[in-house]
Amino acid sequence: MKNISKSIDKVDAHEKIAGETAYISDIKREDMVYAMTLRSPVASGTIRNITLPTLPEGYAAVGPEDIPGRNLVTMIYEDWPVFPEKRVNYIGEPLMLLLGPDKERLASLLDAVEVDIEEDTPVLDYSHSGVHLHYEKGDSDKAFADADRIIEETYTTGYQEQAYIEPQGFVGYIEDETYTVIGSIQCPYYVHEAVKVTLDETDENVRVLQAPVGGAFGGKEEFPSVMATQLAVALKKIKRPIKMIYEREEDMVSTTKRHPSKTTIRAAVKDGRITGMTSHIGIDGGAYIGLSEVVLSRGMLAATNAYTIEHLDVDGDVYLTNTVPNGAFRGFGAPQMIYAIEMFMHHAAKELGEDPFSFRKAHMVKQGDWTSTGGKFRDPILLDEMIEKAADISDYHKKRKAYEDENVYKGIGMSWFFHGCGFTGSGEQHIIKSRVEVEKDAQDTVYIHVAAVDMGQGPKTTLRKIVADVLDLPIERVIFDYPDTHRVPDSGPTVASRTAMIVGGLLARAAKTLKETWREGEAQKVEKRYQQPDYVEWDGECMKGDAYPAYSWGVNVVEVEVDKHTYEIDVKDVYSVYDLGKAIDERIVLGQADGGQAQGVAYGYLEVMSRENGRLKQTNMTDYIIPTAMDMPKTDNHLIDNPYPYGPYGAKGGGELTLVGGAPAVAQAIEQAVGRRVRDIPATPEYLMELIHNG
Amino acid sequence: MAEVTFTLNGEEVTVDKPLNMRFLDVLRTTLDLTGAKEGCGEGECGACAVLLDGRIVDTCILPLASVAGRDIVTIEGYRTTERFQVLQNAFVKEGAVQCGICIPGMIIAAESLLSENPDPSDDAIRTALSGNLCRCTGYNMIIAAIRRAAKEGEGLW
Amino acid sequence: MNKIPESLNEALQYLKEGTYDVLAGGTDIMLKNRGYAEAPVPFKKNMLYIFNLDELRYIATHDEHIAIGAVTSYASMLRHPDVPDILKRSIRQIAGPALRHVATLAGNIGNASPSADGVLVLYLLDARIILASADGEREVPIEDVITGPGKHTIRPEEMIKEIRLPRRTFSNTFFKKVGARKADAISKTSLAGAARLHDNVVEELRIAIGAVNVTVVRDRSIEASFKGLTLEDLKARVDEVAAAYDSLIRPIDDQRSNARYRKQVSFNLIEAFIRQL
Ligand SMILES: Cc1cc2nc3c(=O)[nH]c(=O)nc-3n(C[C@H](O)[C@H](O)[C@H](O)COP(=O)(O)OP(=O)(O)OC[C@H]3O[C@@H](n4cnc5c(N)ncnc54)[C@H](O)[C@@H]3O)c2cc1C
Ligand code: FES
Ligand code: FES
Repeated sequence: MKNISKSIDKVDAHEKIAGETAYISDIKREDMVYAMTLRSPVASGTIRNITLPTLPEGYAAVGPEDIPGRNLVTMIYEDWPVFPEKRVNYIGEPLMLLLGPDKERLASLLDAVEVDIEEDTPVLDYSHSGVHLHYEKGDSDKAFADADRIIEETYTTGYQEQAYIEPQGFVGYIEDETYTVIGSIQCPYYVHEAVKVTLDETDENVRVLQAPVGGAFGGKEEFPSVMATQLAVALKKIKRPIKMIYEREEDMVSTTKRHPSKTTIRAAVKDGRITGMTSHIGIDGGAYIGLSEVVLSRGMLAATNAYTIEHLDVDGDVYLTNTVPNGAFRGFGAPQMIYAIEMFMHHAAKELGEDPFSFRKAHMVKQGDWTSTGGKFRDPILLDEMIEKAADISDYHKKRKAYEDENVYKGIGMSWFFHGCGFTGSGEQHIIKSRVEVEKDAQDTVYIHVAAVDMGQGPKTTLRKIVADVLDLPIERVIFDYPDTHRVPDSGPTVASRTAMIVGGLLARAAKTLKETWREGEAQKVEKRYQQPDYVEWDGECMKGDAYPAYSWGVNVVEVEVDKHTYEIDVKDVYSVYDLGKAIDERIVLGQADGGQAQGVAYGYLEVMSRENGRLKQTNMTDYIIPTAMDMPKTDNHLIDNPYPYGPYGAKGGGELTLVGGAPAVAQAIEQAVGRRVRDIPATPEYLMELIHNG
Repeated sequence: MAEVTFTLNGEEVTVDKPLNMRFLDVLRTTLDLTGAKEGCGEGECGACAVLLDGRIVDTCILPLASVAGRDIVTIEGYRTTERFQVLQNAFVKEGAVQCGICIPGMIIAAESLLSENPDPSDDAIRTALSGNLCRCTGYNMIIAAIRRAAKEGEGLW
Repeated sequence: MNKIPESLNEALQYLKEGTYDVLAGGTDIMLKNRGYAEAPVPFKKNMLYIFNLDELRYIATHDEHIAIGAVTSYASMLRHPDVPDILKRSIRQIAGPALRHVATLAGNIGNASPSADGVLVLYLLDARIILASADGEREVPIEDVITGPGKHTIRPEEMIKEIRLPRRTFSNTFFKKVGARKADAISKTSLAGAARLHDNVVEELRIAIGAVNVTVVRDRSIEASFKGLTLEDLKARVDEVAAAYDSLIRPIDDQRSNARYRKQVSFNLIEAFIRQL
């Protein structure tokens, strides 16, 4: 076997560089009309009346009364209407679509619509819990009763906007009596199911195609189902091709974001060690629950991050507010919780007068330890080695000491962390039931049939590489087209760092079977279904057992300098070490590392999204600040091999891992630079000024 | 409506469209050149960039009127050049492309830089890319690609 | 009707006969009137497109001043040896390269935003603006052109023809723009300073502060009060200097920052400027 990690040219890079790749906004259809969305101007209210201007010939309006099937978008939790009938629950909520051939005309019609809504007082605080989850391990009451010291702190995190450079969009048309939608999406089968239910159609009469995706990061996980159902309703009514591309501001105002959160951690300390912990994490779900429960649960499962705490009691709530619904974003609840626990461990050491680095290490998980939910860390954990490596390449210990000087406005921070790979618990087994096919035609050309989406993270290359390698074929002989629900089975959504490990694993198995049964010049097809490793035991009700089949691990070191006049933060260097089992393609993984870290670090200090009376204040790319090439420092990223027996070539998940440790590392660095405890992120210059001047 | 004449990818073209159309829409809708993308529509992200008289400009905030008499090169024109080949190869080899939506704009930014400064420092590259947002890569591999292109394409710029 | 004039005279004639908004680089006015993709920009007035008015694309060095034509791009200013360094420092931090290739200082004036970075330095340098109309020209100091956010005294029949920067040497200049990131960011606050010292005595001290009031803050009477101080004296009284500006620093809360921060940082920057003299 060749070394699978050795990088090859990404298969879709040439055409993307040349501007030849047709993204969703580049697609046109004959006789196409545009769709524009009428949106709620208020955060909470009851619709009295919507008065439309007279619509010229060729123009149409589509609203809740046009929905043939159910007026709820199919997703994990179903409370999100396609179009609200009476109640409006957030500013920007789509009320109806206007359709027509000319954009200028359409815009003036949209302006002429009169919306009469009886406004009431929106809920904007953490007072209405929509979901409550809880789990425990050991006997935390006793740990607290026996403690010689109790430490408690509260942390908050802000919104984070995915800020993919390509806004959301769809094109829909009817072909052979099939409702066909092409979109910039992560999960073709999510969209398929949602459209089918909304239209009350059969599986066959709905077809979903993935267009090349110009960035997603979770933002195109569940939200596209909302947009696609609306478009499909319009399609059924007007029976003309429709193009629906969000403008940037519209996208920012109305699509899901990372949940703001508030986390309180209390620890029972005995003889200088944490023996018990209670945590509460509250996340702001926005107006509808959607995926929030799952986000909450992933957050809660990271309650002790890479530390072993014997007695544990963890609560969490999704709070409903009259704001845009929040949802999936790379990391999925983990970034909020890992930020909180990493800062907590750091601060707890300071409270106890101990060296944070040693204190944290003393609590670190080891192979064979129980997880937070009483599952088991079965596989080797190489954190010691990884931390040493990270400290070494960054010169962490020496710098940490040097920057203690009060007159030096520099700091260095280190985080270590894990990320559970795949769906939580038995989700893969019971919810997703992933299926893949590998097919070969009579010319011995091999086709990969999966619904996995390449949104830049590389499966178009890596999945082909796996299959080609197993079959010992040149990669050109293995074809992987953009997913089309009429042609590929449901291999599950492209989320949760599951593509390489789960889908790649199934493909490797399918390819192996094909190889074993290979008949030259004959068409053949092999199907594989997901089978949970025997060892995984999970009780979803009590949140007990193995929350994930495997974990990836990481260490981030971030160095900063703070300007003492302006409190501006200059991120100097980022160092990292990752264990994601085995890289299927090293350069692709390093690219994930660079990009994930940029998002993770910026989450900690740069990206501000706030709201006032339910209205977002940063609604465009000028006001919502993401890093430019001048803000992102150079990075020094390393991978270590730690093959996972059930992953293809030993691969685990890597897409999200690279984001989750950025915020605590940068926050610790900032904390050292300014000599004040950081509790809230983003730790902006405005926040640092308050810390410095008011303690 | 008004007729506006300009050079597009080496050929003179005349379009008959309102002067207040965004040039981006003229390219994408009227002329069917979709290599320039709309990322933000407000001059912030560079996805819509083209070369105007050899220098990068954002077409989402450029009215059609402004290109009258000017020389425009889009990625569709630029990709036929030898310089492009060098940049393309460097971008592939350095793994600089993820989702790709920002990349045509990055290529335009790279050309605009290299034609002024064929041997740029890393800082000069970062500055040259500072109006082109990429959300996927964290920029380092793009920077490495431009450095590589400058080296491998020595003499071309 | 919308026009693309071929000469300044033609442009001025249009302005005399009709009501127009001038579009130079367009980077500001295109956004202020933003509509939807694939539809024309819904401008409120007829437009006079001067981006290709080459007659106004120049930088000329005279004995007493540098003259910058109204459609000269920022990028050309960066390339010109006689453009004052402090103006270049400011321009380098305006947006990104693509914008600097088309945007103009005249547009920065027309934009009349208190956070406009070019205008900040124009205040500092006592720039004078040549406003032209079909009936003639007038030369107006920058602070008499801009009167408030988005407000200026350019008459409907006039347009900016040229910006004049008096040639003056300083012993020391200071420029700091505070944005949310290192490039492509609108100023939260900004400060430009210049000093002329002779034998350790302050002959002239200028301070211009952006984004903390309805226009750029520059106060000549405060500045005059530093004249004649020794450098040591001045530094010893740095708190008084900051305090003198207290009533002029009246920032707001917005989506980019808050008033407390803007105020504190302005004070810190005044101090930083004085201390580095
Ligand atoms: C992404 C982005 C980032 C930006 N960043 C910055 C920044 O960092 N700092 C900053 O200061 N600004 C910034 N701006 C604002 C803007 O680009 C600048 O103010 C620029 O200088 C405007 O110049 P322009 O030629 O493009 O102006 P235009 O848009 O053409 O004009 C602006 C205004 O001035 C008027 N005007 C233009 N020329 C004349 C004339 N000759 N006579 C009379 N009136 C005239 C116009 O009628 C209009 O009202 C940014 C804009 C964008 C889109
Ligand atoms: S689309 Fe033009 S700069 Fe973003
Ligand atoms: S590669 Fe996706 S935005 Fe740059």
